[in-house]
Amino acid sequence: MLYTILYGFSMGAILYFIAIGLSLTFGTMRVINFAHTLTYSIGVYMLITFIPLFKWNFIASAALAILVVIPISYLIEKFIIRRLYGESLDYTFIATFAITLIGVDTIKWIWGVFPHPVSDPIGTYLKIGDLTFPIYRIIVFVIAIALFFALELFFKKTIVGKIVVAALEDKDGVRCLGIKVDKYFSGVFILGSALAGLGGILYAPIGAVHPYMGLSVLLLAFAVVIVGGMGSLKGTFFSAFTLGMVMALTARYWSQGAETMVFIVMAIVLMFRPIDI
Amino acid sequence: MEEAKPPKPTIDPKPGPSVEMMMAVKERAWIDLLVIASAFLLLVPIISIHRVIDFMIFCIFALSFDLIYGYMGRLSFGHLLFLGTGAYSCGLFIKYIDKNPLLAILVGILVSCLLGIFVGLVVVRATGACFALMNLAFNFIGFFLVLSPLRDITKGEDGFGIHAQSFWFLNPANKTNMFLFALLCLLLVFFLLRRLTSSPYGILIRSIKEDETRVRFLGYNTYFYKWLTFTVAGTVAGLAGTLSALNYKFVNPNVMDVHGNVGVVFACLIGGAGHLYGAIAGGVAYMMISNYLAIHILRWEMFLGLSLLMIVFRFRKGIWGSILTLWDYWRRPKEMQPAG
Repeated sequence: MLYTILYGFSMGAILYFIAIGLSLTFGTMRVINFAHTLTYSIGVYMLITFIPLFKWNFIASAALAILVVIPISYLIEKFIIRRLYGESLDYTFIATFAITLIGVDTIKWIWGVFPHPVSDPIGTYLKIGDLTFPIYRIIVFVIAIALFFALELFFKKTIVGKIVVAALEDKDGVRCLGIKVDKYFSGVFILGSALAGLGGILYAPIGAVHPYMGLSVLLLAFAVVIVGGMGSLKGTFFSAFTLGMVMALTARYWSQGAETMVFIVMAIVLMFRPIDI
Repeated sequence: MEEAKPPKPTIDPKPGPSVEMMMAVKERAWIDLLVIASAFLLLVPIISIHRVIDFMIFCIFALSFDLIYGYMGRLSFGHLLFLGTGAYSCGLFIKYIDKNPLLAILVGILVSCLLGIFVGLVVVRATGACFALMNLAFNFIGFFLVLSPLRDITKGEDGFGIHAQSFWFLNPANKTNMFLFALLCLLLVFFLLRRLTSSPYGILIRSIKEDETRVRFLGYNTYFYKWLTFTVAGTVAGLAGTLSALNYKFVNPNVMDVHGNVGVVFACLIGGAGHLYGAIAGGVAYMMISNYLAIHILRWEMFLGLSLLMIVFRFRKGIWGSILTLWDYWRRPKEMQPAG
């Protein structure tokens, strides 16, 4: 049972990394970003490329992979997302999905369609009595908690964070103060994409790496954002860990049903609290 | 230089569906059906007959999607659920109960209609992205159900073959018969949807697309109409599913793979959403691209993505919308001459 809870926490942490960017993008720009997990897959593939170059140094290659993700997400924001401000949701949906298609195909082109294994970078286990926990999962969980508090601090204390939070409430009001909202929005977008890349890198040793990995996790991230409330930081945090726990508990008793259970939870939430967008 | 004409009053000449208009629709329907039938018959010698059957089945599916997206303005990312339900219920009926294909088609339509009734009750309460995502979630659940918990019946990933007997003129083994039957179904669906969309009900769902709140102010129960539309679209998609199951004589979970939904969205957009002819033109165009381009161009997913971007940014009217614009452009000077 302890294993299940630990698995739930690490799954929740990964979901949090991915969903937070999606939630921020939606909250600030009102753009449903289907291309969000593209940076997730790109981060993982960059990691795979860099690891042999850096003599299996996980941290260095992860940092470099995230650095590569940032300009890519900037380009996506500048050329596609920025043109979609104020468009109807259908078109943003379709355009960002088109970016995903292009990205997935590029990944297939460069790295091939076959799954790549990534080994656990730490590989040691923590022993408490008879129980052993992989330390890696504990570290992932700790990073997620740290990130949550860091983001809270960022949005509460720094001026940039405050501007973004104010823009979440009332975009036009902030613009009337003479602040270039779009510049901050693109910053938020890049931050969200980098976090998604980080999530992908941290998930790579736990799960499998294949070109369509982004699409399958994207649906889970959407479920997290919808359950937690669009554009809400705390809501995303709690719903990520709740849904991670739901996945872990379902997987314990019925391994294939884990993802489906998340969607059932999402459908139930939507039934009682439909979101008008 | 021609002097500037005063702008024409922009009142719609058609205030509402009068009896005369309904009669006109009835008369035009024969021409429509003739045009479509001859277009597909002309396609047969150009591309092989089994491909044309595929095209027609996809066109039926695109028509049903157009009813939700083009007419009612709700983007669904899980419409393949109904196609898959139709295909599976038809296939399972033939495999386990009876080998009569016509009965199997009826069963498939009925099951997807029932599914549409229940899913619709939940789904139509949402709008925009939530509608799309809830459909996606239901599609995912359906895909998962046939893949794993119902594995004993549906044979999981492997799928199962369908061996239907021939019944009357409906003989799934004979391509010509199948072609005629699919064409008949397409014409029937087109006729039905043409009547439906030009009726007061059709105008109501188009008004829901424009502004749902105002329609509700007028005293209509918009949930009921959205639910009805969703159910009709699901039923028609189920028909397409049964036809494809009979045509391929094989069903596997790929028929309702979640990622396949982008195809029908693409078809609807490239053809021109909100026109029945647009759905057919888009369906044929998409099938041409996916059948022929996929052979010649290795990176065809990238091509699909790039062309979707082009459509969203530059070509929103689609094929049929552009044809209509050209037609208007060509006709307008003639109409204006006597007036000016």
